[in-house]
Amino acid sequence: MGGADRSDRKRRQAAAEARLRAAGITPKRRGLGGLSGTSLVLTIVAVVVIAAIVVGVVVTMKNKAAETAAPAATYPVARSGAVITAGQAAAPVTVDVYEDYLCPYCERFETTYKDQITTALNAGQIKVNYHAISILDRSSTPPGYSTRAANAAICAADAGIFPAYHAQLYAEQPAEGSAGFSNDELTAKGTALGAGPGFGQCVAAQANTGLIQNATNTAAATPALQSNGQFGTPTIAVNGTKVDVNDSNWLQNAIKG
Amino acid sequence: MVGTFARLGLAAVWLTSGLLKVVDPAQTYVAVRAYDVLPREAVAVVAGVLPWFELALGVLLLLGIGTRVVACLSAALLLVFIAGVSQAWARGLNIDCGCFGGGGAVAPGQTQYVQEILRDTGFLLLAAWLIVRPRTLLAVENRLAGPLVTSGSGGERN
Repeated sequence: MGGADRSDRKRRQAAAEARLRAAGITPKRRGLGGLSGTSLVLTIVAVVVIAAIVVGVVVTMKNKAAETAAPAATYPVARSGAVITAGQAAAPVTVDVYEDYLCPYCERFETTYKDQITTALNAGQIKVNYHAISILDRSSTPPGYSTRAANAAICAADAGIFPAYHAQLYAEQPAEGSAGFSNDELTAKGTALGAGPGFGQCVAAQANTGLIQNATNTAAATPALQSNGQFGTPTIAVNGTKVDVNDSNWLQNAIKG
Repeated sequence: MVGTFARLGLAAVWLTSGLLKVVDPAQTYVAVRAYDVLPREAVAVVAGVLPWFELALGVLLLLGIGTRVVACLSAALLLVFIAGVSQAWARGLNIDCGCFGGGGAVAPGQTQYVQEILRDTGFLLLAAWLIVRPRTLLAVENRLAGPLVTSGSGGERN
């Protein structure tokens, strides 16, 4: 396979092409950059496919909150009925979050924005009203996980562990159609986070069920919270106006005003 | 002729499904998560990469570049989809496949596993045809590679 062999082949090829040209036939070109046609095609396929994968990974990384330095919650939490307010009461921007603990889009929302929200809450830039909503009660087997989890979250606010408890219920969110966490499991998670003995009683008693039902009905009937006449979770409002959280800048825009 | 139809048909499938997924990342994430196969972190990566991968396959098929290779990739992806739907069905999950956007949990009795698997099988047949007979009309590779495939074709043999 010496150079002579290759140049000999080249010469024969050139001669062949010349004969074809003489016969009025234009020989096919051999592709670009010295690659043969097949290699060129395979190279293009590889480049396009790899570029697509890189774009996908980059987009994924961009949407993921910088997990290296997840901020710890240092903001105060208060509760009024089924509404849990995180952050300082005097914060200039009010964000209303309507979430169902079984709703996978809500998990997506939490996973994507929780660090940004915590940072803004810590800095006193916003306060967030978490509305305990139970529209997916029928999506667990047996039904009712949404309400039980919302009740437990209210108990967690009273027990002083709401930020961590809320985050954990989403981080470990059960799948739709599953049983969800039992009341004992909901209690154990709170106890592990430092809740006192009253927490378990509160979770088991489910005394907030009526509050949650009312909050759900009220939210669902509020036109400002609907899209095309439908209320769903998560619904996020900034100072009373529904925002599109597919826009990854929604929180920065809210803070800027 | 059939091959050209298969190539453009499969291209349309990937471009449509990829586009519908790429414009709604949250929906795509929920759809992938609903299969309940991967850990949460992996779901995010798959949901991020899958739409772009589908679009890449669609563009390559539309242009007709590397039809046989891309048909192989398409068939592999379709087999993964069929496996995903089948396992959901077998485990009694109630989900929408999210094949063309949508996806996630549905009410029991609202599943369409048979239709979804048959549809994917149809697409798989298009891919199979292209693997066996990748020569099609209006393909860019016809210009790049000369009379398709082997680099030994053309003047070299003389």
